[in-house]
Amino acid sequence: MLDSIKDVVRKSSIHVCIVNCGGCNGCDVECVALLSPRYDLEQYGIYVHNNPREADVLLLTGAVTEQWRENLKRVYDKAPEPKIVVSIGNCPISGDVFNQEGGHVYAPASDFVPVDAAVPGCPPRPSEILEAILAVGPQAIADRGREKK
Amino acid sequence: MILPIGPIHPALKEPIRLKLQTEGERVVKAEIEYGYVHRGIEKIIEGQTWQRGIYLSERVCGICSYEHTQTFAETIENICGVQAPPRAQFLRVITNELDRIQSHLLGNSTFFKSMDHETLFMKVLELREYAMDAIELLTGNRVNMGWNVVGGVRMDADERHFKPILENIKKIEEGFERTREIYAEGPALGLRSKGVGVMTKKEAIRGRAVGPIGRGSGIKYDYREDHYTYKDYFDFKTIWRKEGDNYARTLNRFDEIPESISLIRQAIDNIPKGDIRVPVEIKSGYAQWRNEAPRGEVTYTIETNGNLIKHISIRTPSIPNMDSCAKYMIRDVPTVSDAVSTYASCDPCVACAERIAVTNEHGKTYLTDIGGVK
Amino acid sequence: MSSLMWYIYDFARKAWTDAFTNAKSLPELAEKPIRFRDFPKVNKEYCIGCGACTVSCPSPNAIKIVREKDDESGEGLTYPVITPGACIRCGFCAEVCPTDPKTLECGENHLIQPEFNIIPSKKQYIVDDYLCIKCKKCMKKCPVGAISLVNDKLHVDQLNCIACGECIDVCPVNGAMKEVFVENFNGQKDLILLAVNYIEDFVNSKEEDLRALEKDSLLQYDLPLDDIMDEALKIIPDEEVSFQIISNAINRLKIRIIDWDKDNCKKCQLCIPDCPTGCISFDENADTIVRDKDRCLRCSICYQTCPFSVIKYFIAKFSLADDRIIHVTVKASNLNEEILME
Repeated sequence: MLDSIKDVVRKSSIHVCIVNCGGCNGCDVECVALLSPRYDLEQYGIYVHNNPREADVLLLTGAVTEQWRENLKRVYDKAPEPKIVVSIGNCPISGDVFNQEGGHVYAPASDFVPVDAAVPGCPPRPSEILEAILAVGPQAIADRGREKK
Repeated sequence: MILPIGPIHPALKEPIRLKLQTEGERVVKAEIEYGYVHRGIEKIIEGQTWQRGIYLSERVCGICSYEHTQTFAETIENICGVQAPPRAQFLRVITNELDRIQSHLLGNSTFFKSMDHETLFMKVLELREYAMDAIELLTGNRVNMGWNVVGGVRMDADERHFKPILENIKKIEEGFERTREIYAEGPALGLRSKGVGVMTKKEAIRGRAVGPIGRGSGIKYDYREDHYTYKDYFDFKTIWRKEGDNYARTLNRFDEIPESISLIRQAIDNIPKGDIRVPVEIKSGYAQWRNEAPRGEVTYTIETNGNLIKHISIRTPSIPNMDSCAKYMIRDVPTVSDAVSTYASCDPCVACAERIAVTNEHGKTYLTDIGGVK
Repeated sequence: MSSLMWYIYDFARKAWTDAFTNAKSLPELAEKPIRFRDFPKVNKEYCIGCGACTVSCPSPNAIKIVREKDDESGEGLTYPVITPGACIRCGFCAEVCPTDPKTLECGENHLIQPEFNIIPSKKQYIVDDYLCIKCKKCMKKCPVGAISLVNDKLHVDQLNCIACGECIDVCPVNGAMKEVFVENFNGQKDLILLAVNYIEDFVNSKEEDLRALEKDSLLQYDLPLDDIMDEALKIIPDEEVSFQIISNAINRLKIRIIDWDKDNCKKCQLCIPDCPTGCISFDENADTIVRDKDRCLRCSICYQTCPFSVIKYFIAKFSLADDRIIHVTVKASNLNEEILME
């Protein structure tokens, strides 16, 4: 009974923290565009707070750079359980164009933190991000809460 | 005490570390620690053909991505001694100004968010979506557009595209008046931004501030005045202000938007007929080229070796702007929250700033620090 | 007080109920404009496998060319596969794709014109850094001074080169200076494929000789080239060019031959799990080990695994001079002996 109430609450109130671990900024801009009245992320109960200590969802953008190799794990540890990680754009998946000779990136991000869902695109359109977050986020966070009980 | 902010912090959108030296609530001094998004992009571009290099240069910065490709293309055109045909130049102006509008609106919305003024944040972002629509319609992508090539632009545009663009910029113009009024005439925001983070003209010159930040401090200079397309075909006036505080910088960005809109109108009305792309044979050579990006002056220095790029060096406006922000603006600021909004008012773009690795005399590599090279 | 009045008035208008009940997403939320460049669409059947898309792609992991397994209906299709996690949606692959109609489609983006071709001249001379002994004979011989020493490596400046070919004549190391034809790539590929298939069929037909071959002895054959020359001329009409391409390919060619006598096989099946491509399988009905020749990489792992030395591994080398006869030399591999000696 309590679990099902928790599930409902968790599904409809998600705090998000954007972690840019070394990208071109394009995906972050598209995340900011999600806050705009047209896409209105907050109507789905998602609030972008940018504070890992109260985040349920970490939105990961960017290929992992030298400085982020250790810090990414620290940011992830600071977020309270249950938490999920959604990676946005190509950089956390494959390193995009930076992952070639001369680049200083350590993609994929899943080497450092467990990534639950990924949205490809360079950068993805806001509607694609929205679709992916809504398809994956609420249920995943409810499930994760049940596992870790 | 020293108060560190970042790299992940509710006040910051991008990873950077601000070290504020405080006495009570008063912020005496600030220092910026770079190096969280260094990806080595200049090294990646070396040894590639321009066809691949132009897409890589686009990913130096995601917000003003357009101006990077244009400068890259114009630098190589300069090496080969050709110019894009007039129709391509006009199309470049349209895209450039649309990109400038969206970048300025985004910069201002970040500033309002840092002042916790949600209404203006939302209103400005709403206006920005129209500019993004116009860009997507014209170029096929919202952020990284892939629109420029050496010798012209990739696709032609016609009435089908110009009409919706005009409609979109009309919508921006309608909403813009009221939004600017709320900011410029409203008492609450004025009190928090007037006289905060003042940088005088002398300091702006010493700190090499460029773009709306330099123009907000009284440096009346816009590189578009010297660019051949703007010089030959377009009329516009450089917006500048004397105050040098947060209010002036933000209002300067706002006031540049009607100029950009009028430039787009001029371009669409007078667009000439003809080719959009000329074939270019890449020569060996060396050239430097500048352009006015939304945040200030972008400089590309490229050395080519036949078809390949031998060396490339990119100077982006964000390093001097952020350095002068830390050195001159956040100096004796009354509160910590004002220091954060001052930092946001200089429209920082961290992804632009971080491409340089410096090797010291012991052979150890480190990234750029405050005040450039230590 | 007035604002309270206004709120009551606004509430009473019931505009909010309409807005609430008829709320739906704006159409422009999900709608993409005509020009929107989505991930490229692949039309498998048009692909000629030229690899222009993989070479041009700015993102290193985005496009991979795969080949399907052959079946009764013919050769398996070769086509590019786009990895969405790495594709940056620039549409450049669609721009360079040479087929008509396009194999790759991406937005409104098919403006390739011949003058925007990336590769400028017909022939290019390239120094192979691994083979070059830096004698600098080509540097002295070059009539226009296009060859120079850059970073301790000989480098041909493609803009000054006049493609006279004197550097190749003077080069003492076979293959250190390379002449590459930059036009008609597909024709070249067909030509090489034709020659290699011809030779491979010939060697495979000599099965008895191979099995009788002893250690440290050689098998030698002479094979006239003129049997395939007529067909070769159909692909590339220029006789000089096609002969040069074939001789370049054949002189560098080294074919590995895997062969085993099925009667001697003990059916221990040790080679099956070791095969990296999975081309060896056990046919239960016929009670025999089967090797799929087309998928085999000739990596010799099965030869090294076989505990009974049933599998034989040969190396065939070829040489072709101006007399238009291919000299074939087959030698048994001494890989296993080397391992045993250690």
